[in-house]
Amino acid sequence: MRAVTRRAFLRTSGLGLGALAGGALAGCAASMKGDFAPKKGPRVVVIGGGWGGATAAKYVRQFDRTIEVVLIEPNRQFVSCPFSNLVLAGVRTIDSLTMGYDGLRKHGVRIIHETASAIEPDQKRVRLGEGYLQYDRLVVSPGVDFQWEQIEGLAQNQDKVLHAWKAGPQTVQLAQQLAAMPDGGVFVLSIPLAAYRCPPGPYERTSLVAWYLKTNKPKSKLIVLDANQNIISKAALFRAAWQAYPNIDYRPASRVIGVDPGAREVRTEFDKIRYDVVNVIPPQRAGAIAVQADLVGGDKRWCEVNHVTYQSVKQPGIHVIGDATIGLPVPKSGNIANAMGKITAAAVVNLINGKEPPTLAPGNTCYSWVSDREAIAVVNAYKIENGKVVQIEQKLTPAQSPLVAQRAIGWTQSIWADILA
Amino acid sequence: MRVTLVIVAGLLLCSVTWTGAEGAGPLDERGAVKAVTCAACHGPAGNSRSSAMPIIAGLEPAYFKKQIEDYATGKRLSPEMEPYAKQVLNLGVDDVTAYFAARKREATPVTSPADAVGRGRTAAAQCTICHGPQGQGDAAKLIPSLAGQAPGYLREQMLLFKQDRRSPGDPTLAALKALMKTIPDETFGDLAAYYSSLR
Repeated sequence: MRAVTRRAFLRTSGLGLGALAGGALAGCAASMKGDFAPKKGPRVVVIGGGWGGATAAKYVRQFDRTIEVVLIEPNRQFVSCPFSNLVLAGVRTIDSLTMGYDGLRKHGVRIIHETASAIEPDQKRVRLGEGYLQYDRLVVSPGVDFQWEQIEGLAQNQDKVLHAWKAGPQTVQLAQQLAAMPDGGVFVLSIPLAAYRCPPGPYERTSLVAWYLKTNKPKSKLIVLDANQNIISKAALFRAAWQAYPNIDYRPASRVIGVDPGAREVRTEFDKIRYDVVNVIPPQRAGAIAVQADLVGGDKRWCEVNHVTYQSVKQPGIHVIGDATIGLPVPKSGNIANAMGKITAAAVVNLINGKEPPTLAPGNTCYSWVSDREAIAVVNAYKIENGKVVQIEQKLTPAQSPLVAQRAIGWTQSIWADILA
Repeated sequence: MRVTLVIVAGLLLCSVTWTGAEGAGPLDERGAVKAVTCAACHGPAGNSRSSAMPIIAGLEPAYFKKQIEDYATGKRLSPEMEPYAKQVLNLGVDDVTAYFAARKREATPVTSPADAVGRGRTAAAQCTICHGPQGQGDAAKLIPSLAGQAPGYLREQMLLFKQDRRSPGDPTLAALKALMKTIPDETFGDLAAYYSSLR
């Protein structure tokens, strides 16, 4: 790493940013127009402060403190999707999954709580409000957006038919709907065709809603309408866990094509099912900015990337990480996004400094709760072979256990710190 | 819009105090890039802050390497660590162990009740023969330091030794396992509380 000179320190530490902010303050509204924060040295802009983007922002600063990092994230707080199914079951509070971004600021990451409206790759700039930010390297970690139009009646009823697939207010609202459901009621959960964020997540949700109903509303039933042909992750372990939940009615190959909150009814290709509470996890694609910037492939859904640098195959100057990517033999998991964030940070720093990016594969650790106190896990290790990510091995826990659940808690504490502290 | 701008600018001004917490370390340091994946479970710089995940900062390289090899061959059973151990061997285990050996070990922040620590101190008399009076271990004999280690991890490992599920048949662990068989399960929590409290 280069020695940090006083000038570089001033430029990249808060002092330099303070001066920059002074300029923004002087101009106020006008300062968000045009190049409202002129670049004074190497700068990395990161769009999206989730598991991938926040990690990338922190690690660029860790690897080279002479590089300025600007993170663009509309939300003022980070809410963890992993563990949010426990909120539905009343086992955890949403507050216990909610964290601020102050840790990143301590690393010198500058955070702008706005939504990036466009990317202009030729000019190397990101549009923000009425102005723009210039960058040397851009990391896009856009997460997922929902394809409302795929299910009739969904777009116009987003306030009534909840997804709770981005942890936050909807997680709390769905937990409230579940708690208010009369005993004897029917909870319907709809799972989209893969690929979607967090492959085992819907089955973890099935387990925890079933556990909640069994414990609190024993006459109630959970109908799971899965568009896939079978459970797509940790299938044997989930099947074993569901032995304890005769209240689950799991129906594979049942794609939901319509929802009618007036009639409290969902429609599959063959059937109509009445519900008391419904949770539709809609089909997904990469976040909107990835579509705007033409980072998605022919399917208009996901972003294909280089397996070593995470540069978009369509826009090589832009790195794309996290759930929005496709083509690597990895799941759309928080742990993978975190690993991609670190690998991309190393690649970006080396590229800015005229060096070769490292050749490093991500790893996947994925815990799922199957009751209030027991969990299961899958772990995938990878390597790079001929420039491509290849799986070395996948291992599953032999059975559900409280010890695995304790390690799941340990994992969240470590990885949340790795992302944000 | 005006309010947002003032808030944004305010946040920028707030970032004047800049502290560089120890984390991944400079990119050119041996093993730094190869070790990044480990932080997801073992915490930044290998200093896990949880009870269940072990602290790997400051581990002796020879001990660390043996664990990675035992995990990879399945001698030390762990569905989580077996794949990752193979990944570490693929990347270069000596680089990864060198990186963590150079990290300053920070004792676990997980605290235990004083009575459990007291009972553990009494029960630890026999452990000191190998692990030393302060639980510091003996690097030359591949005996790890227990001082300040995560208590949930320590307790789980003692149970695995007692049940001969960690590295079965390993002659270097025979005496340890014989001792563990004489200790009731509930005492493992006390021993873990005591050793995790040492600094």
